[in-house]
Amino acid sequence: MSLSGSNGWLILRHRFVAVPLALAIVTGAWNAYVAINDGGIIAGTVQDPAGRPIAGADVLFFERSMLNYVEERRTRTDAAGAWRFDGMAVHVGQVEAIAPNGQKSERRQLRLWFKAQNTEVTPLIVREYR
Amino acid sequence: MRKTPTWPRHAIMLVVCVLMLIPFYWVLKTSLTGENIYAYPPRIIPVDPHLFNYVDVWYMIPFPRYLLNSVIVTLMAVAGNLLFNTTAGYALTKNFPGRRWVVLLLLSCMLIPFQATIIPAYLITSWLGVLNTHLGMALPMLSTIICIFIFKASFEAVPRSLIDAARIDGLSEWRIVLRIMLPLSKPAVATNVILNAIWSWNAFMWPLITTRSAEMQTLPLGLARFLSVMENTTGALYAFVVLVLVPGLAIFLMAQKEFIRGLTAGATKG
Repeated sequence: MSLSGSNGWLILRHRFVAVPLALAIVTGAWNAYVAINDGGIIAGTVQDPAGRPIAGADVLFFERSMLNYVEERRTRTDAAGAWRFDGMAVHVGQVEAIAPNGQKSERRQLRLWFKAQNTEVTPLIVREYR
Repeated sequence: MRKTPTWPRHAIMLVVCVLMLIPFYWVLKTSLTGENIYAYPPRIIPVDPHLFNYVDVWYMIPFPRYLLNSVIVTLMAVAGNLLFNTTAGYALTKNFPGRRWVVLLLLSCMLIPFQATIIPAYLITSWLGVLNTHLGMALPMLSTIICIFIFKASFEAVPRSLIDAARIDGLSEWRIVLRIMLPLSKPAVATNVILNAIWSWNAFMWPLITTRSAEMQTLPLGLARFLSVMENTTGALYAFVVLVLVPGLAIFLMAQKEFIRGLTAGATKG
């Protein structure tokens, strides 16, 4: 089949061309999405059960090792209860908040679609905080 | 005359089909859930399926590197097979002294298991200085006897008058193969491509022997390494298995029509 002429595009419908082409398009689109969203920012907020922000809470990030999760980074929430980690080249981990009164939130499992994916974590709730 | 109903035959085929697909389904289901395969009672329907096991596989081992190695070795094997099997198959359609002995030699070589020839193959590869290279891994797979006979059967089905006409028109033997034989033997070409792609993709023993560094390993070797290094990776392990299987399945599904036609070509010749 000739590539030129009015029937030239028909070759694109052949499954040996169409399937690899479709795979190439999907791969290209995915890589473009990854390139746009791989800032390595993991952010969120810490709240009490009533939804009020908790300022000054420590937020810990645990990275997966061979056997378990070990603390890798730590930050502190601002007045709005917001926290943020930059340059996180990971795709799996756990986050946990420790309120100023020492009470902890549940440890939240994070599983990302690719390394360094920008992620907004749903609020970490410290149940025993007043 | 009363026609025999076809539904019992279809029902049996359906049951056999389901039985054969169950292992594939189980691998796919485990890769999506991470559920222990020995869990009792087993769950037929996956609970909370997700794709993160595939992400884990991608990052836990150098998967892109293994994939690249497998692709390179497979492409080399397929290209080598197309070149050598075509020329050998075409030569065997000719009459020359000792042709019968060559065919007998090839057929008898098919009876020797590859394991029995590993040591000489290794020594030859070493002598050529291509150990731990892509070429070294592809070397024994550059030609396969069964595929030579597939080409031979396909070429013999081409009318002799067509070849004579091409020769009268001044075509050389190479051009006869390229312009006449191969376009008329597309199923044989597809069969060669599929069979050799699957064989070289799944090859384990020879790459295991020829590779020395981790970065030269192919996907099946990576799977063995993954099994030996990682722990508690049921989901990731099965995700890896799926990733190894998918390219072979995709090639087969894309070309199954040509594959079946190529395997049966010449089967009814006298």
